[in-house]
Amino acid sequence: MANSIITITNMKKQYPEGKGKFTALDDINLSINSGEFTGIVGPSGSGKTTLLNIIGSLDVPTEGEVITLGESIGKLTHRKAAKLRNKNIGFIFQTYNLLPVYSVYENVEFPLLLLKMSASKRKKAVLDALEWLGLTDKIKSRPGQLSGGECQRVAVARAMVKLPEIVLADEPTANLDAENAHNILKMMSKLNKELNTTFLFSTHDEKVIQYLTRQILLKDGKVVG
Amino acid sequence: MIKFLLKGLIRDRHRSLFPILSISIGVTLTVLMQAWVTGILGDMIDFNARFTTGHTKVITRAYSENMQQMASDLAIVGVDELTDDLEKEFPNMNWINRIRFGGLIDIPDESGITKSQGPVVGWGINILTDNGSDIERMNLQKAMRAGKIPTKSGEILMSDELAEKLNVKVGDDATFLGSTMFGSMAMQNFVIVGIVHFGTTALDKGAIIIDFKDAQEVLNMENATSEILGYLPSGKYNNELASEIANDFNSKYSNSEDEFSPKMLTLSEQNDLKSMLEYMDSIIGIIIFVFIFAMSIVLWNIGLIGGLRRYGEIGLRLAIGESKGAVYRKMIYESVLIGLFGSLFGTIIGLGFSYLLQTKGLDLSSMMQNTSMMIQSVYRAKITPLTFYIGFIPGLFSTIIGTALAGIGIYKRQTAQLFRELEN
Repeated sequence: MANSIITITNMKKQYPEGKGKFTALDDINLSINSGEFTGIVGPSGSGKTTLLNIIGSLDVPTEGEVITLGESIGKLTHRKAAKLRNKNIGFIFQTYNLLPVYSVYENVEFPLLLLKMSASKRKKAVLDALEWLGLTDKIKSRPGQLSGGECQRVAVARAMVKLPEIVLADEPTANLDAENAHNILKMMSKLNKELNTTFLFSTHDEKVIQYLTRQILLKDGKVVG
Repeated sequence: MIKFLLKGLIRDRHRSLFPILSISIGVTLTVLMQAWVTGILGDMIDFNARFTTGHTKVITRAYSENMQQMASDLAIVGVDELTDDLEKEFPNMNWINRIRFGGLIDIPDESGITKSQGPVVGWGINILTDNGSDIERMNLQKAMRAGKIPTKSGEILMSDELAEKLNVKVGDDATFLGSTMFGSMAMQNFVIVGIVHFGTTALDKGAIIIDFKDAQEVLNMENATSEILGYLPSGKYNNELASEIANDFNSKYSNSEDEFSPKMLTLSEQNDLKSMLEYMDSIIGIIIFVFIFAMSIVLWNIGLIGGLRRYGEIGLRLAIGESKGAVYRKMIYESVLIGLFGSLFGTIIGLGFSYLLQTKGLDLSSMMQNTSMMIQSVYRAKITPLTFYIGFIPGLFSTIIGTALAGIGIYKRQTAQLFRELEN
């Protein structure tokens, strides 16, 4: 467990539902090591996104403990959680969520601005990230001028530009055709190997599953394998 | 970061252009409304003061009870002495004598037979006397439609509608028929040297203007006058000051036992102006309050909608690692910027329109053909110090408050909830 960067112990997540409570996740125990290319796999409604959100400090567990990069998620203040996400966690979303009024360059630059990185370092990091993802010719384009595959590559560049320890990807290929999905996954796999970044997916897409080095099966809010 | 946010603000019209436009329109309307309403009220007071009421007016007690009759037999006698006293007692005030009278004007043809005739309201004002002070006060130069201002005794001005009705032109003779201060018949020939348009239907329909001394002679009012009008040194009516002066004068000179003793009235005590002023003040207050309130709600709503439609973007920024406080503060900064620009543009545009309305005015004479009230037919806005900030403050603050309220949602919602809204 020496290089474990995510540890989940007896975690439960409940949401209020009417007068009662809905249990989204129950009795979750997991450990994810640095450099893994892991997927939380399961059908819709199994709790994949909720689990990813809690690991990424976007949500908190109702019971149990989630430790991400040495921080207990349930005990973090909003400010500390934001700092954790800002420095160490990159997010990739199903719907890309690029800021439409900004160029590709500016979208990728945004996380670095939050880190208050100097302009010269920022420029180098953004150009490097865009080069990894093959987007150097799209620097000035706006998201509306890009294809779905290109948008997701920009989203990956935005997640990777700050060289986070963990990248959380929520159904990253759901809106992509097979060819684009494979291209994106190849790139992420390459980055995982070259930069030793830990990737954690939530998915039920076979295309993603074939790239994973480890699968965590989730069903009805419980880890089943 | 600030440069980055500014770029986004400028490029996203929904966040910048449209809110700025909406705020500008709201602020423009508020500014224009205030200037317009202030202008109308101010014009009405000023018009009445210049033409009929003064800021204060000295008349006899008897005259005050029958003012509409303009009876010259109820005039103030010993006016020279009384004017001297007024100038000593209230040296800062500007005192002028006026005679108002009624009668008949008769226009003869070449053979001296009546060609046309009609009733007139006569004004004996300072044209040749007191350095022609009423020429400027009654705006006669600008009111001239034809001819010139009288330069010697025996010359009169006639209002344009009356001249048209009587079919006279500059240079024609006119005979005034009326009654003197002592009840005998007054008759005098004059030469019409100018046609004037006063801009108030009541006067334009049937007035003649003659020099004060001529009026005294015709009506046999030696050392007498109908009214002594007083004007405050600032030129602006101040009810408190005018009342103070009137009370002081009345306590010294007015005698309730003597109906010919002088009595000083303030502007608000004449022509039902007090109730009208109070009524207008209340109405204006209500209108401006309702207008600002409504505008504030609209602008607040704009801030609110602006904040709500950005929940997605906010969710993303939180996911990337911006703290809630930082997001909230930046939203407020943006709203300050939007509010400032919108309010500034709105104030400038509003002031521009107000200035146009102040200089050009709006001629509503066609809508007042049948009115006999002493009100002006050209309405103007008036820019006051209040005009500069009456729209600016609600424009700025309602936008900020709207955004601040919308932003509270950031604090109340779980980050994950915002994140889900982002996904939707």
